[in-house]
Amino acid sequence: MIHVISAANRHLYEDAIETHYRIRHEIFSAERGWKALTRPDGREVDAYDNQDTVYLLAMEDERIVGGNRLYPTMRPTMMEEVFPHLASVRGIPSGPTIWEWSRLFAIKERRDSKLYFELMASLHEFCLDEGITELSGVMETWWLPRLQQLEFTVHPLGLPDLVENQMTMAARFVISAETLSHIKAMANIKGSVLVRRGPQHSLVGRALEMQRQAAAKAS
Amino acid sequence: MPKIDDYGRGALDFIEGLERLKTVDSVMDAMERAFNRFGFETIILTGVPNPEQRLEQMVLAKRWPAEWFKIYTANEYVRVDPAVRHLRRTVNPFEWSEAPYDAGKEPRAAEVMRRAVEFGMARGFAVPIHNLTGYEACVSLGGKHLDLNVRSKAAIHLMGMYSFDRVRRIIVPPIKAHRLTPREREVIAWSSQGKSAWEIGEILNINQRTVEAHAASARQKLGATNATHAVAIAIRERLIEP
Repeated sequence: MIHVISAANRHLYEDAIETHYRIRHEIFSAERGWKALTRPDGREVDAYDNQDTVYLLAMEDERIVGGNRLYPTMRPTMMEEVFPHLASVRGIPSGPTIWEWSRLFAIKERRDSKLYFELMASLHEFCLDEGITELSGVMETWWLPRLQQLEFTVHPLGLPDLVENQMTMAARFVISAETLSHIKAMANIKGSVLVRRGPQHSLVGRALEMQRQAAAKAS
Repeated sequence: MPKIDDYGRGALDFIEGLERLKTVDSVMDAMERAFNRFGFETIILTGVPNPEQRLEQMVLAKRWPAEWFKIYTANEYVRVDPAVRHLRRTVNPFEWSEAPYDAGKEPRAAEVMRRAVEFGMARGFAVPIHNLTGYEACVSLGGKHLDLNVRSKAAIHLMGMYSFDRVRRIIVPPIKAHRLTPREREVIAWSSQGKSAWEIGEILNINQRTVEAHAASARQKLGATNATHAVAIAIRERLIEP
């Protein structure tokens, strides 16, 4: 099951969040070789891990087996600050109902299983629940055919380019009930994949508030 | 010489235009126009056959000289083509000249590369396509005088992946394919092993008429024109093991 973790309920998940930073370090820094993410403390944490971050962490009993990270585009995002050249043709998506998706992972032992389908399903189920209409993100190009197989609607924002020796592209992903039902049919997933423990608040509501504050500052 | 911006805008406009195309031919026409600009004259979109499969059953679409396809398949060149071997090992697109082979130890590999030149394919570029369930495929483009640089290759890479996906979805409309019932799946699986409707009835302990009904229903859902087509689609979509 995939646990929804945001500022409202992260006090219930502090250990899990910490553990997942170490898992991210093993996977992204060591296994995938993204040297820029390497840190001496063995925790893969960056500027987009903070109170505004939402984690969708897949847990079996208390064990973390996979996850996704979402971040509001009403804050400075990775695409804007680190990879703007990848979105040079169509521009960087931004809005209260557009969130940046990153750090999709599954631990090695669970990579051939249903878990990827559950992680993908969790994105759509969560976003449909919250009123998030699109995700933006930067990914290696080899993910594109896999997402297309799941009937994701993926719109490229620019041409791919090499990032740490892998062809990488920026895209926006349309959230849709059709994609969700296709993923669930392919993997025979019935019902909800999400767990919501503790207080929840409206994430799009908070993003709208961020937008209002930014507009107020500007005027 | 197209400017850097033009490669990007051209590629993304092409990709957006694909959704409006409803037939494989119209997609292939659009691909020809788009890839001609880079000097490509031949196109093939195909899955990679395993040892028990033939190339012909894995091809989604092609614009190849008919004579070359005859020669290529008659000689089973797909088994020795260095580009085919290379695309199984990489997710990155590559020029055919980057696919390694030993001309001395692999004369058949050298032969296919040499004969391709006779049909206008002196150079080429392949875009590997690997999905979540182990399916391997490619878009492979050939020509004589190619405009290949970092930006044009990135454009071709992206356009190739999207073209493949568009053609795949036209040939196998997604929603239907994944609603095969367990029985329909079984019937197609036995059919792929060469069993007749009567034999399948014996194996599953059901009436032959019932087998035929399941087969017909599966064909309809898969959008297949006949039994062989149904098997090919089912294998390609990983609905049954090849």
